[in-house]
Amino acid sequence: MSDSCPVCADERAAGAAFCESCGRPLATGATKAVGTDCASCGSTGTVGADGYCENCGMLAGRPRDHVEADAGTVAAAVTDRGIRHHRNEDAMWLAVRGTEADIVVCDGVSSSADPDVASEVAAEAAGKALALDATVEAAISEAARAVADLISAGDPRRAVSNPACTIVAARVRDGEVTYGWVGDSRAYWIALDGSHVEQLTEDDSWATHAIAMGADPQAAWNDPKAHAITAWLGADAGIVRPRGATLPVTTPGLLVLCSDGLWNYLTEPAAFANAVLAAVHTNPDLVSAARALATLAVEAGGADNITVALTPITP
Amino acid sequence: MGYTAETFQNEFLALGATEVNAIVTVTSSGAEGGLRTAGASEIIIVDCSGSMQAEGRMQAARQAAKAAVGCIDDGVHFAIIAGVSTAQQLYPAPGQLAVSAPETRAQAVTAIDRLQANGGTAIGAWLKLAGQLLAQRPGDIQHAILLTDGENGEYKGYLESVLTEIGGSFTCDCRGVGTNWTVSELRKVANAMLGTVDIVARPEDLSASFTQMMTSAMGKTSADVQLKVWTPVNATVRFVKQVEPQVADLSGKRVQDGPRAGRYPLGSWGAEARDYHVCVDVPPGAAGDEMLAARVSVVEGENVLSQALVRAVWTEDSALSTRINRQVAHYTGQAELADAIQAGIEARKNGDDHTATMKFGRAAQLAHESGNKATEELLATVVDIEDAVTGTVRLRRKVEAADEMALDTRSTKTVRVGRAQ
Repeated sequence: MSDSCPVCADERAAGAAFCESCGRPLATGATKAVGTDCASCGSTGTVGADGYCENCGMLAGRPRDHVEADAGTVAAAVTDRGIRHHRNEDAMWLAVRGTEADIVVCDGVSSSADPDVASEVAAEAAGKALALDATVEAAISEAARAVADLISAGDPRRAVSNPACTIVAARVRDGEVTYGWVGDSRAYWIALDGSHVEQLTEDDSWATHAIAMGADPQAAWNDPKAHAITAWLGADAGIVRPRGATLPVTTPGLLVLCSDGLWNYLTEPAAFANAVLAAVHTNPDLVSAARALATLAVEAGGADNITVALTPITP
Repeated sequence: MGYTAETFQNEFLALGATEVNAIVTVTSSGAEGGLRTAGASEIIIVDCSGSMQAEGRMQAARQAAKAAVGCIDDGVHFAIIAGVSTAQQLYPAPGQLAVSAPETRAQAVTAIDRLQANGGTAIGAWLKLAGQLLAQRPGDIQHAILLTDGENGEYKGYLESVLTEIGGSFTCDCRGVGTNWTVSELRKVANAMLGTVDIVARPEDLSASFTQMMTSAMGKTSADVQLKVWTPVNATVRFVKQVEPQVADLSGKRVQDGPRAGRYPLGSWGAEARDYHVCVDVPPGAAGDEMLAARVSVVEGENVLSQALVRAVWTEDSALSTRINRQVAHYTGQAELADAIQAGIEARKNGDDHTATMKFGRAAQLAHESGNKATEELLATVVDIEDAVTGTVRLRRKVEAADEMALDTRSTKTVRVGRAQ
């Protein structure tokens, strides 16, 4: 992962697919080069031009299976395919300049067509908008438009089953945090000393809705419909009204954005905070801590794709 | 040359699954400007056995051969073979090919008037002579038309040995006139020679049939197109079948090309589309593994014209692995339809009415389900279809030989699946 754009040297490019200053695509550890060794069968120099091993046929590498964005002490993000899913349908955007940061996490809706494309397009559209200093709400609207436009691009299956995804985005400027979301990807605020943890987002999901209407929380979360989302980005989503707020920061803490691949294993906010703080305190740097959290979810079963972004904030 | 190859499949496999199926559609827009990239040569073989005197067949065959000659483009090399107990070259001089022009075509027409019916049927010898004549024109788009009205009279095994020797070296479309010829015999020739087989029950329809075959042959722009199928180590190709416009199993025609690939001959191509069903057995993968199960290339010599990938992705998500791909399901059904009809005809011949009823019933069901109206109508000439949905049929007491032979020859004709997913 490059720390700056190789074209214009803008340092905010870390973790982003495109440079925010000049818009050029950045190398993101893409498909292995032709003629490299195959990791599956061990043959030497057998990876072909289309990315498959000429001996055993296995795909040499899918760039999105595991991606890390390392912006040093400012922020870090990791996304991982997990175990159950055959591809990573989560996508992320992390761009920093000085202590400013733009963070986006999107999770493709598996039942839609090409959810991996939806999440990638949404993260990129929102990220690019934030880089141009759009508000979080405006950035999410950009993402919504980009995902809705997918139905008229290419594959006719997309028109039948609209590509769709969730989004959670945050914008950090001079210690001030604004955030917004659609769907069930979350943002948390965790005080560094562990004295305070807050789930900033409220899932647009059946379970959250049912609990708000007075259902028993345990019963609601055990319902098969629990994770069905009630708002998303996509051509069939109707008018997207992102929710969001500004976070007043008074004590040093961590802003955590993540997809349900992580929080599903840590549904209690206290347990979530403990896991995050343990990861931060036992690892040498932020990106290692983010990787440790993804690993925790993988080892717990890896039932979904996992994305987690960590951004320390000081008032 | 505009070739495209496109894959239709459900690439998702359940854990432990090892069979990968895909339909590969190959489409060619023909050569630029519709011009042939190679020369072309044509042989017309007309059965002149004694039986051709009946029902005015010889007269009709002469007219048909003349009509076909009239369709040969200028510059194409051609010859006419009179099929008797041996093969006799009718036009031009023995061992020669004429170059098509108004004068040579007029000479050929005069020669055709000399065709007389007397002698036997020696399909092996006829094809062998055609092969020898065409061998003078390597690299040409080579095509022959074979007309016969009877069973082959050569000693057992001779025709097979000729087909092994010359199979695939040129395309041969076979037509049987009347009802005294054997469908399985002509089908064997057509399969080996990558051509078509059909019945022309009424001699008066011969001219139209010859004109159609020759026009289609003149529309071919590439001589020798092949499907090259690469598979990874420890994977094996179970079969490669053409499934549209008609079913033809190409598996036996595989020629090994390097340790992991084989070539299957597709014959000559014009502006057309054909579908192929590729089935590969692969070693099982782990959840999330993605394997290239086959790389299917359309090639002419060493020139790769287009390529399609057949993939395998193993998943624990049964919603993905149990999805049925429409193309694969449709053509699997069309291949089963052809098999059911041929088995039904065979059983009826052997007096096994029970098996015949069962097979025709299944065929009626498959033809109905897939919207193959032409085959359903042909079936209805051999059995009474009481309920196509459940496959309930009754054998007819009296079946016209021509109807049964038409059903048999056209059983492999398929219909294209709708493109919408």
